[in-house]
Formats: sequence, structure tokens, C-alpha cells
Amino acid sequence: MPPENPVRIYAPDGTVGTARRSLAASPSTLAGRRIAVLDNGKPGAAFILEELAGNLSRRTQSEFVGVFAKGSAATPCEDDLFQDLVGRADIILTGTAD
Amino acid sequence: MSKWMDKMLGAVEAADAATSVAGVAPEDVALCDIPGAPALGAESASITPEIVIDDASPEQLIETFAARGWGDGLPLVAPTEERVEAMLAAGCEAQDPDEIIAVLPPRQGQATRRLLAVNAVLAGCPNGLLPVLVSTVRALAEPQINLRGVNATTHPVAPLTIVHGDAVEALGFNAGLGTFGPGNRANATLGRAIRLAMLHIAGARPGEGDASTQGQPSKYAYCIAENQKESPWESYPRAVGIEAASAVTVHCGENPHNFHDMENEAPSAILDKAASVMATLGSNNAPVSSAEFFIIFGPEHAATIAAAGWTRRDVQSYLFERARLTAGEFRRAFDVVQYRPWLADLRDDEAMPITDHPDQIRVLVAGGPGKHSCVIPSWGMTKSVTQPVEP
Repeated sequence: MPPENPVRIYAPDGTVGTARRSLAASPSTLAGRRIAVLDNGKPGAAFILEELAGNLSRRTQSEFVGVFAKGSAATPCEDDLFQDLVGRADIILTGTAD
Repeated sequence: MSKWMDKMLGAVEAADAATSVAGVAPEDVALCDIPGAPALGAESASITPEIVIDDASPEQLIETFAARGWGDGLPLVAPTEERVEAMLAAGCEAQDPDEIIAVLPPRQGQATRRLLAVNAVLAGCPNGLLPVLVSTVRALAEPQINLRGVNATTHPVAPLTIVHGDAVEALGFNAGLGTFGPGNRANATLGRAIRLAMLHIAGARPGEGDASTQGQPSKYAYCIAENQKESPWESYPRAVGIEAASAVTVHCGENPHNFHDMENEAPSAILDKAASVMATLGSNNAPVSSAEFFIIFGPEHAATIAAAGWTRRDVQSYLFERARLTAGEFRRAFDVVQYRPWLADLRDDEAMPITDHPDQIRVLVAGGPGKHSCVIPSWGMTKSVTQPVEP
């Protein structure tokens, strides 16, 4: 049964100002790929991510190319560092939070 | 190898070729603030009232919103076309309602006057507050606020909005007794509308766009007004170079930390208590030397300090000198810091200021009778913004 007194209201979230993007397809194998770590600046992040990258490279025959740190945990990765990483690596491991 | 590491590596190896993050669909990721994602570049965004509910009862509305992940958990006012138009007509009638005035991260939501009017209606704002809300959101989008970090961090940070000038009286804000507290519609609903804009437009929902470990009460509403009538100093906007009949300041920080002094006539004795609140290892000001403090004096403390001839600058200078711990205490507490280089040259036994410049100690007056004032520490990697109220 339709409502007796329907009310029409606005949604509160509106539209999004960034083009929707799909994730890039994952490589079928990591063998021969270059892996870098983007240290998010939190205590312990570089240690955990470097361990992860090292283990991953050994198990998949990929190459670990190093750890790179952004300026602060509280700010986005700088554009020049991001572009540098894109040239150095096929896969970048990073994390967020603490 | 630890179990979690083994599990993580196993997940990576097992990941489907079309999905590089196990369990996360591409369309979910696409709504996030992805570095390098192209901005749409649109100048306007129109919305229409497309949701039909059976009735506008509080029960129906809150259930409808909760089912969609909207709202702050409190009852809402239905944003009908009539109410939204009335909100727009009270102060923003000469502006384009669909102009994008800010893009709010992490969701990158497009804030228009109409969309902000929707959130103002939901919050219970009286007509007339929309220009202040628009100005506040415009300020929040300034790069130095670092809204992406403010909204997404594990820290409990919330934006404090301070209303200045003619708008305080004209729109009924409470700059006096209990300015941080309940009981005034303008303070309460503007603060709530800002939070609803963060939840809905910016996507700062706990667990999605807001990782705050514990949150804090000021994430519901956090709005006060400068008590210029009882301030011995020039208005805060004028002190930071803003000449406008009305203005708003946004500072992203913690809840207020009270200090009281009922005994002293000497400014130094009152300010030593403020300094002791500032010089703590627990706030983000401790590892980030560029972070600001807001010191909100009750009128009685301000009058006592000014009666002794102290200017706002004197207050800033004194607090800079007194709000210190030894450099060794800071060094033992933190592995990761953002300090100016000169601080690194202090010996462990030397007194190190909790902020690296007196200008980062922001001083103004709000509140009513009584011997209480407060310190509002910062989230850290953010700077306050003051802007004129413009619709």
C-alpha cells in the first residue's frame, strides 16, 4: 500500500569530485617484479613493511628495491616522491594508521 | 615468521588477478581519496530531493538515515525542498546554490550551498546560519587545515569553529556563559551541521573515513563565539589581519582543557597554570613543534591580565617562555618528531618550548563570569584558518 503522506527529501552526501577509478589489474606473477616500501612515518611502520617486503621478495623471486619515507605520517606522499617510486618499482607496499 | 606475516603473504599470493586487495571491490576503493586520481574539475553540482519516505516523523527519518549509514545518531529534521529553499533564501539568495565551494576529503565530496543547506536543515539550524556554515566549510578546505589528515587520523581531533563579529549577536550565538556547552541553538546546530557535513560530504564516518581510536565529544558539535564585548584586546580576526564585519576561525584540535585560578592578581600566576596545561607529553603538540595552541580566556582572567598592562603579545611571549619541559623529556617520549632544527641542538637538561614560536599560541576571549579558562591543543599537522563570513 502506498504511504498516505509521502515526503520527498534530499540525500545529504551529494556528489564526489574525483573521477571513479578501478584498481589496476594485479600481475599474474610477482617473479621479476620490483617491490618498494613507502614508510608512512609511524613508529614501527618501516620495520613491519620491510620485513613483509623481504619475505615477499624471497617467496616470489621478486626484487626488493628499498624503503622510502614520506615527510610526515599526517600528510600525503609528496608528488615528486610518488613519481620517483613509480619509476623505481612495480609494486609499492605501504600502510596507514599506527 | 610470525603468523600474521604468513597470513598476509598467503593472502597476497592467493589474490585474484583482477583484485589486488583481497575482499575490497574496486568500486569501493574508487570512492577514496586516491593519490593521482583526476579531479572532475566541475564548477557546479546539482542535487534533487530523490528520497521518498512514508512520513517525516523523527522515527522514520532516523531509521531511513541509519539504514543508509547517514546521520550522527541523534534525531534529525527532514530536509524537504521547502525547508532547504528557505535555508538558502536566508542569506545565500544571491548566490548560485549549486556552485561547488569546496571538495572535502577523504571522500572528495562536492560541497555546494544547497547541499550544505540540506545538512543545516538536518542539524536543526535556524534560517540565517547558512552563510556561516558556508564560510566555515570554505575555511576547512584550505590546504593548511589538512582536512584529509584531520578527518582520517586515529587522533580524536575535531574542528573547532569560532564565530566573530556582528554575526555573533545578529544570529544569536552564545559568546558568554557556557559558550562551549549546551543550551544555545546557534552554537549547537552550527557545530552539528559542520559535523554532519564531515560525515556525509567528506565521508568522515567512524571506521570508513575516520579512524579515530576513541573519538571525542566535540565530534558531535564544536562551536563557540568570541566574546569581543568583554575582551580587553582587539578582535581575534583583526589581530590576524582579517578586516571583516563577521568572520570564522577553524582550529582542528582536542577538546578544551580547563584551568582555573581563583587566587591570583598577577598575570604570571594565572598564565603559569595555562603553561602547565600546555606542557604535557600527551598532546600532539609535543612531537610537532609547529602545532598551535588556542588559549581561550574567560573574561575575568583576561581582565586581570590586561589590567596589569599585558597585551595579547605579552601573553603569547610569556607562555612561550613558560610552557616547557626539558629536551631530554621530549626525546625519551618520542621516536618520531617534527621539530624545527634548532630544537635538536638543545642539551637534554635544557628547557625546550612546547611550540617553536609565540605566534603559534593563539589568544582570545570567550565565556562568562567565573575564574576559568582553557587550552585547546592541536592535532599537530594543521594550521588554523580565519576567513570573513561570505555567503
